[in-house]
Amino acid sequence: MFIPDTKLKTLSAAMLMAAGGFAAAPAMAEDFYAGKTIEMVVPFGEGGATYVAAKFLEPFLEQHLPGNPKVNVRTRPGGGSILGANWFQQNAEPDGETILFTTSSTSNPYVLGMDAVAYDLAAMRPAYSLPFGAVVYVSPNTGIESPADLHSSDMPLIYGGIAAAASDLPVLLSFELLELDLRAVLGFDGRGPARLAFERGETNIDFQFTPAYMSQVVSMVEAGTAVPIMTGGAVGDDGVLSARDQAFPDYPSVYEVYEELHGEPPSGVEWDAFQAIGATTFNFGLTAYLPEGTPDEVLDIFEEAIAAINADPEYQDKSQEAIGGYDLLPASVVTGSLRESLQPSDEVRDYLRTLLAEKYDVQL
Amino acid sequence: MLENIVSALDLLFQPARLLALFIGMLAGMVFGMLPGLGGVAAVSILLPFIYLMDGYSGLAMLLGAISVIYTADTITSVLIGAPGSPASAPTAIEGHALAKQGKASLALGVGFLASMVGGLFGALILSVAIPIAGPLVLALGTPELFMFALVGLCFAASMVGKDLAVGLAAACLGILLGVIGAAPAAANYRFIFGQSYLMDGLSLPIVALGLFAVAELISMVASGGGIAGQPMTLGKWGESFRVFWRNRWLICRSSIIGIFGGFVPAVGASASTWIAYGHAMSSTKDKRNFGKGEIRGIASAEGANNATIISDLVPTMLFSVPGGPAAAIFLGALFSFGFYPGPRMVSESPDLMYMIVWSVALASVMGAAICFAVTPYIARLTRVNFALIAAPLLLIMVAGAYQGTQTFGDILALLALGILGWLMKNAGIPRAPVLVGFVLATPMEQYFWLTTQIHGFTWLTRPGVLIIASLIVIPLVLNAGRWLRQRRKLANDATQRQAEASPASAEPPSHDSSIILIAALVMVVAFGYALVEMLGFRPNARLMPSLGIVPGLLLSLYVLGRQLIRIRRQGHMANLASRQELPVLGGILSYGLVMWLIGFNLATPLLLAWLLVGCARMRWGTALLYGLAVYGVAQGMFAMMRLTPPAGALLDLPMPW
Repeated sequence: MFIPDTKLKTLSAAMLMAAGGFAAAPAMAEDFYAGKTIEMVVPFGEGGATYVAAKFLEPFLEQHLPGNPKVNVRTRPGGGSILGANWFQQNAEPDGETILFTTSSTSNPYVLGMDAVAYDLAAMRPAYSLPFGAVVYVSPNTGIESPADLHSSDMPLIYGGIAAAASDLPVLLSFELLELDLRAVLGFDGRGPARLAFERGETNIDFQFTPAYMSQVVSMVEAGTAVPIMTGGAVGDDGVLSARDQAFPDYPSVYEVYEELHGEPPSGVEWDAFQAIGATTFNFGLTAYLPEGTPDEVLDIFEEAIAAINADPEYQDKSQEAIGGYDLLPASVVTGSLRESLQPSDEVRDYLRTLLAEKYDVQL
Repeated sequence: MLENIVSALDLLFQPARLLALFIGMLAGMVFGMLPGLGGVAAVSILLPFIYLMDGYSGLAMLLGAISVIYTADTITSVLIGAPGSPASAPTAIEGHALAKQGKASLALGVGFLASMVGGLFGALILSVAIPIAGPLVLALGTPELFMFALVGLCFAASMVGKDLAVGLAAACLGILLGVIGAAPAAANYRFIFGQSYLMDGLSLPIVALGLFAVAELISMVASGGGIAGQPMTLGKWGESFRVFWRNRWLICRSSIIGIFGGFVPAVGASASTWIAYGHAMSSTKDKRNFGKGEIRGIASAEGANNATIISDLVPTMLFSVPGGPAAAIFLGALFSFGFYPGPRMVSESPDLMYMIVWSVALASVMGAAICFAVTPYIARLTRVNFALIAAPLLLIMVAGAYQGTQTFGDILALLALGILGWLMKNAGIPRAPVLVGFVLATPMEQYFWLTTQIHGFTWLTRPGVLIIASLIVIPLVLNAGRWLRQRRKLANDATQRQAEASPASAEPPSHDSSIILIAALVMVVAFGYALVEMLGFRPNARLMPSLGIVPGLLLSLYVLGRQLIRIRRQGHMANLASRQELPVLGGILSYGLVMWLIGFNLATPLLLAWLLVGCARMRWGTALLYGLAVYGVAQGMFAMMRLTPPAGALLDLPMPW
C-alpha cells in the first residue's frame, strides 16, 4: 500500500526551476526536457489498467528524465483505442514531447490490417515497454491439476472472453496451438466480469493479467477454488516467446506446456501467430511509442532514464504491488523484437484472418 | 469490527480529508445540476487533483462527488425537466409536472430526502460487504443480470404515458440507437457508416444532452421568458417532510431495489430506478397521477438511483469489477493509491472500507442539507430570461460532449440528437423510453447471448430468474389486466354516452401536425433503412436490433398513418408554436457549422452575440461584459478538463495558453 508522495512533485518542480536557470547554456542531453511538458496519450478511459499504469510511471519519468519535464497523462478513448492512436499519428510532432502509451488493443488491429487503422505502428519508435503478463487458470471441478491434464478434463471446458479479435486473441491462439477442446463464450464486458462468471462457476477456464491475478486470483488459488496452469511467457534472449514470466517463475509458459505435451518445441504457423500476438500482448504489453522520425537523441535520453528508473529502489519497491514488479524494457531491447511482431509474415497474417473468420466469424 | 468503525471515523475526521470530501461534494453538486454532466464528468474532472493529496483524502474527494450527484440532479430534473441521466428520468417527468403546478418545493424536498435515504442504505450495504453483499453479488448469475435489464426496460416502456404506441416506438428507437457500434455477441459493427467514431457506439452523456437538454434549450430560448413561464413559487419545505415520512417504507423498499441495481454491472441505475418506479406504481391505489406529478414516483426513483450509485461500489471493492462508470474511475483511483480491491483488501484493511462507508454516509446527509439550502437561489435563476442562461449552458454542454472523444464527431452527434430531441418534444413523443432503451440495449443483448451460450435454455428455471420474474412481472401483468378492464369500462361508458364526435377530433390538437408528420416520417425512414441494413448482419448480431427495428417500423408506420387520417379528418394542418422555434434551432445548427469551419474559439463569440443581443435583447455594453465572462467560463471549463477546444477545418485560432 502506498500513497503518492507529494514531496516528489515539489522536488521535481524545484529541480525544474533550478534547471530553468541554466536554460541559457547550450542545449545538451542533460537538460533536454527542462521546462518542457510531455503529453502521454492513453487511448482508453480514465481508471482503466493502461491509465493506472501510466499514472504509476508518471512521477518516475518526471524524476528521471533529464530536465525533469512535467508529464501529463491525457486520455483519448474511443474506437477500442483506434481513435486515440489515429489522433496521435495525425497530430504528434517528433519532438519527444508527445507519447502514445498503449496496449495490444492498438497493435492487434494494426497487425490484422483493419480498415479503421490510420496509424503506422511499426514506423513509430518505441521508447520503452512494460511487460503485462497473464496467467491461465482452471476450476478444480475440471479435475485438471497440471498442464499435463489439459486434454483430460472431467467436464467440457468453457472459457469466457470479450471478443476474439481483441485482448482474448493471444489466449485463444494458445488454446489453438495446444489443441484444447473448449467452448469460447465471447461477449463479456471485460476481464473482471469474465472472472466473476468463473467465480460463479459459469465458466471453468479463465485468464487474468498480472495485476488482477495478484489482487483477485491468488487468494482463490490459496482457497483451492482456482488452479494455475500456465503464463503467456516472456521473450527470452533468443528472441523467442519461450522464457518464463518474470512475475511467475513457478508457472510454465505456453511454450513449455507445448513441449511437455508434444515432446518437441512448438513450430509452424500456429506458433508463429501465437508468438507475434503473444509478444505484443504480454512482453510488450504496455508500450510507449514516439512518432516516426523522432531523433535518436530523444531515444538515447529515454534509454538512460529507463535504466535509472529500473535501478530506483522506490520503483522496485512500489512496482511489485502496482504492476507485478516488472522491469521496464528500454528501446534497445524492445525495438527489433516488437517491430518483428508488428509485421508478421503474410502466412501468419492469412492464418490469423482465416482463423478469425472461420472459427469466430470475424470479417476484417 | 466496532473499533475499526471508530478508527475509520478518526481517519476521515481530519481537516484536510473533510475539506477534500467537501470539495468533492461541491463539484459533484455542480456537475449533478448541470444537465448532461453527471457523475462520470465530475469524477473524471476531479481525478487529476486527487493525485496531489494523500490516498484517503483523494478517495474522500471522489466519494463526496459520487454520493451527491443523484441528489443534486433532482434540482435540474424538477426545475428544467431535463434529466441528467436515464436514472433521473422519472424524477424529471413527475417532478417537472409538480413544479408546473407550483409544487416544486414538495418535489425537491421529497427528492432530496429520498436520495439521502438511498445513500444511507448504500452505505449500510457497503459496511456488510463481506458477509452479505459479496455472496449476493456472486448469487446473481448472467441469467439474473439479463432478467434485471429486461424487467427494467419493460417497466420503462410500459410507463410512458397514455399513448402506448408512441411510447413503445420511442423505446424501439432507443434500442436502435443503443445497438450502434460493435455487437457484443458477434464480430459485427452495426450502423457505423464507416466512421470509427461510431465503433464504440454513441455515448450516454451525449444522447442524454442531445435528446433532452438541447431540445429544452431551443424551446426556452424561443419562448423568450424564464424557465418557469411565470415566477416559480417554491413554497414551504414543511409539507415535503410530512410526505417523505408518509412514504418512508416505499423509499426504503426502493432503496433496496436500488442496491440490487448496483450489483448488476452495466445495467445499474437505469434499470433499478424504473423498477422502483414501477413498484411505486403497483403499490399505489390511485394511479391517475403517474406521469402528471405523482410524488411517490419521485420518492421511489430518487431512493433507488442514489442507492444504486453507492452500491455500485460493492462489486468494485470486493471483486474489482466496477458497477458503473463512476465506480470504474473510482477503481482506477484505488489502484493508483496502492489499494488493490478484493475480498482480501476488504478484510485486511477494514479501516479503508469503513472510511468509505463514513464518507458516503456523511456526504449523503450533508448533500441533502446543502441542496435544501441552495435551492431557493437556484429557483430564482428560473425567472431570468432564459437566453441569458442558455449561453453558458450551451457552452457547458458542448464542452461536456466534447469530453467524450475530443473529436468533432461528439459535437455532430450532440446536434443531430438535439434535432431528434426537438422533433420528438414538439411531436409529443416521450423521450425517456428512448434513453432507457438506449442504455439497456447493449447489456440486455450481451447478457442474453452469454446466458444462452453458457446455460442453454435451462436458465429459465433458475430460482433467481423466477424470483425476479415473480416479484416484478406478475404485479405488472395484474396491473395491465386491471388497466385493460378499466379502459373497457370507460370505453363502454363513452359509447353509452354516445359522444357525438370521436375523441381524436374532439380534442384540440396539442402538437403541430406537421411536426408529428415529420417525426413519424423520420422514424419510418430510420427503421426502414435499419431493417434493410440489418439483413446483412450476422445472426448473433441481428436479434437485438430486430427486437427494436421490426416493432419500431410497424409502430411508426401506424403512428404515421394515424396522423395522416387525423389531418384528413380535421381538414387542416394544426400550426402551433413549433414554427417559432425554427430560427433558434437554425441558429444552434449554424453554430455547429461555423464551429466546424473556424473552430470553437472564433465561433463562440458569434454565438454569444446572437444569443445575448439577438435573443435576450441585451444592450451591447452589458452583452459585451456578460459575454466575456461566459466566454471565460467556457474556456476555463476546457482548461480544467485539459481539453483543447475544437479547432476549425479552415482556420484555427489557438488560445494563448
